[in-house]
Amino acid sequence: MAGLWWPARPAAGALRAWAPRGPHRGKTAQVPRRPLPRTPWTTRGPPPGAPLPRSWQDKRPVQEQIPGLEQVTYAGKQYFVPWLARPRLPRWERGWHDPRHSPGPRYEAMPLYKERVCYVCHQRTKMLEGVRQALWLTKTKLMEGLPPKVLSIIDEPANQLENEDERVQNAISHARVWITTELIPKRESYCPVLLEDLLHLCRTMASKYPSLSKRMLARDYKVAAAWERESSILQVRGMNGILLNAINPLLPVASKDEILATENHVLETFHPISPTIDLQEVNVYEERHDTGFREGYPYPHPHTLYFVESANVRPVRFRPEQLRAKMLMFAFGNALAKAKILYGDDPKVLEHPVVVQSIGTEGRIFQFMVFQLNTTDLASSDGVKNLVWIDSDQYMYDYIRYLPGIRKKVVKFPPGIYGYRPDTFKKFLALYLHGAVQDSTQTQIL
Amino acid sequence: MAAPRGWRLAGQGCCRLLHTERSAAPPPPLYPPVVASHTAKSKSAKRRRLEYFYQQVHEAPSIAEKLRLYGRLQRLKYVVYPQTFSLNADRWYQSFTKTVFVPGLPPAGAQPAGPGAPDLSELRSLACDALLQEHFYQRKRERPFLYREQQHVPGPFLTQLVSSLSAALGSSNPLLATSCLDLKPQVNFYWERGETVVCRGYRTGRIDPVRFQIDDEPLIQIRVPKQLPEFVPLDYSVPGEVPVINHKPDKLPLFKRQYDNKIFIGSKVADPCSYGHTQFHLIPDKLKRERLLKANLADQIEVTYRANGIASLFAWTAAQAMYQGFWCEADVTRPFVSQAVISDGKYFAFFCYQLNTLALTVKADQNNPRKNICWGTENFEEYGTRNHFFLPSLRILCAPLL
Repeated sequence: MAGLWWPARPAAGALRAWAPRGPHRGKTAQVPRRPLPRTPWTTRGPPPGAPLPRSWQDKRPVQEQIPGLEQVTYAGKQYFVPWLARPRLPRWERGWHDPRHSPGPRYEAMPLYKERVCYVCHQRTKMLEGVRQALWLTKTKLMEGLPPKVLSIIDEPANQLENEDERVQNAISHARVWITTELIPKRESYCPVLLEDLLHLCRTMASKYPSLSKRMLARDYKVAAAWERESSILQVRGMNGILLNAINPLLPVASKDEILATENHVLETFHPISPTIDLQEVNVYEERHDTGFREGYPYPHPHTLYFVESANVRPVRFRPEQLRAKMLMFAFGNALAKAKILYGDDPKVLEHPVVVQSIGTEGRIFQFMVFQLNTTDLASSDGVKNLVWIDSDQYMYDYIRYLPGIRKKVVKFPPGIYGYRPDTFKKFLALYLHGAVQDSTQTQIL
Repeated sequence: MAAPRGWRLAGQGCCRLLHTERSAAPPPPLYPPVVASHTAKSKSAKRRRLEYFYQQVHEAPSIAEKLRLYGRLQRLKYVVYPQTFSLNADRWYQSFTKTVFVPGLPPAGAQPAGPGAPDLSELRSLACDALLQEHFYQRKRERPFLYREQQHVPGPFLTQLVSSLSAALGSSNPLLATSCLDLKPQVNFYWERGETVVCRGYRTGRIDPVRFQIDDEPLIQIRVPKQLPEFVPLDYSVPGEVPVINHKPDKLPLFKRQYDNKIFIGSKVADPCSYGHTQFHLIPDKLKRERLLKANLADQIEVTYRANGIASLFAWTAAQAMYQGFWCEADVTRPFVSQAVISDGKYFAFFCYQLNTLALTVKADQNNPRKNICWGTENFEEYGTRNHFFLPSLRILCAPLL
């Protein structure tokens, strides 16, 4: 039986010990205040010189109003009595530094302390304005839908698996139905399994395109990237998702004309909300760039980032808008770290833009993203901007039926997947094959 | 027994009809068949109840229903852990599962020759890349948390190695191209072997079968839609004996618990990939080589690998057989074959298992000459120093995947 989360009502007329008595009895719940009546005082404020109403007056504690008045505490008695105030005793000092019971240095005493605050985006950051905020922070222009280069990979009939629909539906059933002896698996178990199964299906294409075997997955790696954006220092740090690394970088998806055309684009702001809202403010930080891998790594170029949003509880889970923002921030972070290592720390427009793809899912809905880093000059809001193509809210299937729907002893709705859409996996596969497949549009871009 | 008695009585009564032709059907019996009681506290009643239970399982309409009926009754059972610190656990597990352990690998079948054969140098470079990424190139914490060293580096290395090797070998092996890769799946099996007298409780004095349950979680598992070919024929007489241990399993030590009797290969019966190919196990932190050497148990290192191989593979192959409808009263008509690779990140051991019989209960095992066979190698080092990686047994590592 589900536990009652609302307070149970007592018997009619019963008084509660902690509730107000007298004329205010029964007024225990916080009744939401009705809006104030519209009077000249409430609309324009009190006239100058008039005394403020009691509830608007500044209340200072009694000790400040009557100097010399002190609370009588039981500190002198050295034992508790209920009618005297609780004393504020001084904090006990050990007298010597015990490393096992030390609170640690204060922020101001740490060697990396800086006066200027830095805003950090990590894997649990849920941004208020979502993608718009991420676009402003990363100086990016949004394009709806996937780029035509990736869409052309989908249209090629040679880029499909054998029995693709059947195998994808088997993968979905495996993750959603067959993975556990219980009837319904939790999202924490089925979401990563679905992603692993889809990746396994994509890897079987290595027989057709041998360059697909020149890729390596990396889990639990940490990225670090820092940049300045209109007098705020921003950083992207920490573990994000599963990264697919490749030997060869992805070629730029947008042509030079499109990149130059972004100069005219104006970034969207959302005054009065600050663009750094929901980012963690830190005073102790170090600005560094780190792709997560050492020099000499045989697969140096980031290809695709996979995000799995598998929290069981809905309030903890990222909404699609926040998931897209997180994908954008971390794709940008990986691209920026790679660009700084390849081309140096000076802010400039890149001759060879860095492309990083990103796919995020919560088990049913997929978000696809292709990000192209055109410039590392992010301090001003003018000039060449980065580009991102987002294909949002792609449903792989509508819902799963675990038990058969029986109406009048006849099975009307058999158990299984309902509303399967094959296009979503085609896009997943196209993003995986991007970079390994030679298509006709490639020669036209450069 | 009762029906022929009734027939004899009817025949004796009408001996005059012996010389006449029987044109009509035999008359229906006047009385219902006389059988033993169903609920009495007697051996014949117990036998009748067992027969009824077996008949119900035989007549189950689907395999899921069969599994449900087989494991419906919950009683105290021994929980067998494949990764165990018990001394000489491999001999005990062989006796529980009627397995003969044969050192070495099984007789090899025809090797695939021609253009489909895999390129070993390419596979070797993939393995080296996976090793280097996890050990060196990827920046990780300097020191992992207590007892989490195995999941810090060796675990991700094995995962990466298996996924890239299975993808690369998919072109030469069509079975791997249609396989299913599971990460940390559940594998469970429940069986009965031998008999004992109940010593405590309200059922004291009754003779009960000894029940076992294995709940295993391999690191990675590959399942395929078609069964692997057998290594040796079903009734092959193996040179070797199943160890007989005349002690109660409690001495191992093995402890009893009562909970759901689960039979699971990693996914439900409806999955088309219902046959197993290879499992990959990672030795946990508490059973690592260094700890056993420090405790003066150097000979138990091999024992842990063997016990893990025998128990995990028996559970997996037997669960696969049950998914096809076989059980202890309906023995397998074809052998079920699976493989396992057990390692601690540096030392690898390879095991192949052929399940020839599921009939392990006392009643079914009376005239059963078949034994299950487990082939296993010793564990040996896969790579030497950091700078010079050589993988002499990469061929054997890839053989299970072929």
